[in-house]
Amino acid sequence: MLKFSKQTMLMAALLAMAVPGQADDWDDDPWDDDPWDDDVSAFEWYGFIEGAAGHRLQSNPVIGDDFSLGELRLQLEGRYEGDVATWRMKLDGIADGVTDELDAELREAMVSFPFGDRTDVRLGRQVLTWGTGDLVFLNDLFPKDWESFLIGRDDDYLKGTSDAARISWYGEHINLETVITPLFEPDRYPDGQRLSYFDPMQGDIVGAPPRLRGVKPPRTAENAELALRLHGRAGAQEWALYGYRGFFPQPSAFDPESGQFTFAPMNAIGGSLRGPLAGGLYNLETSYYDSRDNRDGDNPLLPNSEIRFLAGFEREMVTNFTLGAQYYLEWLQDYSALRRNWPMDPATLPDERRHLATVRLTWRMMRDNLIVSLMNFYSPSDDDYFIRPTVQYRHTDQLQFNAGINLFGGSDASTFYGQFEENSSVFARLRYSF
Amino acid sequence: MKRLTQLIAGTVLLFGVGMLSAETPDVMEIVERANQASYYAGEDGRSEARMRIIDGRGREQVRQFTLLRRNGEDGRQDYLVVFSRPSDVRGTVFLVDKNPGGDDDRWLYLPGLDLVRRIAPGDKRTSFVGSHMYYEDVSGRHLEDDEHELIETTDEHYVIRSTPKDPGSVEFAAFNTWVDRETWLPMKAEYERDDGEIYRRMEVLEVEEIDGYPTGTRMRMDDLDEGGHTLVEFRFSRYDLGIPADVFSERSLRNPPRRWLQRD
Repeated sequence: MLKFSKQTMLMAALLAMAVPGQADDWDDDPWDDDPWDDDVSAFEWYGFIEGAAGHRLQSNPVIGDDFSLGELRLQLEGRYEGDVATWRMKLDGIADGVTDELDAELREAMVSFPFGDRTDVRLGRQVLTWGTGDLVFLNDLFPKDWESFLIGRDDDYLKGTSDAARISWYGEHINLETVITPLFEPDRYPDGQRLSYFDPMQGDIVGAPPRLRGVKPPRTAENAELALRLHGRAGAQEWALYGYRGFFPQPSAFDPESGQFTFAPMNAIGGSLRGPLAGGLYNLETSYYDSRDNRDGDNPLLPNSEIRFLAGFEREMVTNFTLGAQYYLEWLQDYSALRRNWPMDPATLPDERRHLATVRLTWRMMRDNLIVSLMNFYSPSDDDYFIRPTVQYRHTDQLQFNAGINLFGGSDASTFYGQFEENSSVFARLRYSF
Repeated sequence: MKRLTQLIAGTVLLFGVGMLSAETPDVMEIVERANQASYYAGEDGRSEARMRIIDGRGREQVRQFTLLRRNGEDGRQDYLVVFSRPSDVRGTVFLVDKNPGGDDDRWLYLPGLDLVRRIAPGDKRTSFVGSHMYYEDVSGRHLEDDEHELIETTDEHYVIRSTPKDPGSVEFAAFNTWVDRETWLPMKAEYERDDGEIYRRMEVLEVEEIDGYPTGTRMRMDDLDEGGHTLVEFRFSRYDLGIPADVFSERSLRNPPRRWLQRD
């Protein structure tokens, strides 16, 4: 109850701030008094303040709090353009009503500069993305923040941050991007605090405490992450080849000696294509995950090697209405060895092939000021689903409102979306940008 | 005598044809020259643009961006649009490969996710970044999509009436364009529905000559149904800068080319 009233106050404070935000700094004779005549300043800063709340659609037996999200967030972003280099910093301060904590999160702190004519370098904390999927990632093994996404924070927060060096080389026809992350950075995964999850060791849905904590690999040069992307365009077609050496991004390995979850070493290679087709766009992507410490696949406490495959198509069906559909496959490569050695309840043994279909419908209205979207994940093999209707309304350049529902379900508590059934929630956010 | 007659006849013919073309050029020549003047001036160009979007209820939004353009072969063009305002779209970059006669290729870079998203080649008559302008107003409508007819020649303008060849593909039944006879710039366009009612109007409010090219520097698009409008102003325009083709690439999406974006 205390938390609820705190959130109410936060929202009220936010609204109070937001209302005078519509100040009109231009009079009827447009542009004349406006700063665009002035020289652009080398240093700029901007940001937003956002209130967000998410409430479970049902009570969760293993988590006491019915709020999965309740926070006031202030983001400040600064940018300085020097003669050669550009410096950027993005810092979030969060008053979190779910954890009752004040928190700070450095989203970006980096410098970018060219090196010669053909190379761009970016050093520091940054967000990194590549690949062709819509909310499905194969060759993009940069950290994801699944918890943020599944509780209803802004989509930007689905991508976690990397402390990395990105070196992009651009040739005539071929480009090469190299990302070195000295210290492995895993995904942020549901850890029981806001979202309950299925613990295969206990064979049940669990919540915090204790929070799920994967033990990161030792900080050695050997354990640095290396990600490569060779890419180019042939006419309207885009192609890319990917390579990765590092770790599975989720704590999917278990160390029986310490009784801890860990991140298993992996290599990955893959490729993707994207281009126009039949009045829309197609994308194809595949990846092979080599579980380095489990090449025979007979250790059920380590992830199996996998082939992943994705095929997608997107098209504007009628004006301002877009349909996107994807088929996605996760195929365990040493399945018979896994089944032979499975020590736990056979009912929790994963399928050899996990099939997933996604459909996204997007309507854009009022000159894109109102966007309604329905994203739907359904796995026929796991018999589970994740349905995510969202609405985005841009009232002014300053004030934006978002709301949505995360609806999970399935016939089995051990499957990917089925385990989150009792985390289903409704969320809303109000953001004032400055 | 015969020769003289021929000479006179020839002269009259030549002169007459010359006169005729000066007075009333072929309608396709007018629309092609208008298209050239408004979308293809120079080999390339750079401009800063600002939009002030006012909806039917008087609420206002702003977009500010820098636009780079480069002409290719056979009417192909590349566009790079780098947004600087408002703060939540700042750093967003839009890349277009315009392919007359086919679908344009379009990409969008979202800096918060470091994501290069490809945009499905959809209807080009939808809002450009929330304004009353359509994508097609920014990069130009293909001339071969309409039948054109010269319906009036005034002291200042050629008035062209254009009717879509595929009426199901667009929201208008016809539009009239007032092309300036001196600069060839389309100064006004009015879009009509089946019943002849005008529901959308574009007007060029100011023209300046920049680097030898007459350039519309202020324009206004009105939505006469809803009552809203968008004012667009271009400044710091330059032409023939020698922008290389590789500026219009993924590199510029992820890392906008400062050298070509900055004012001189």
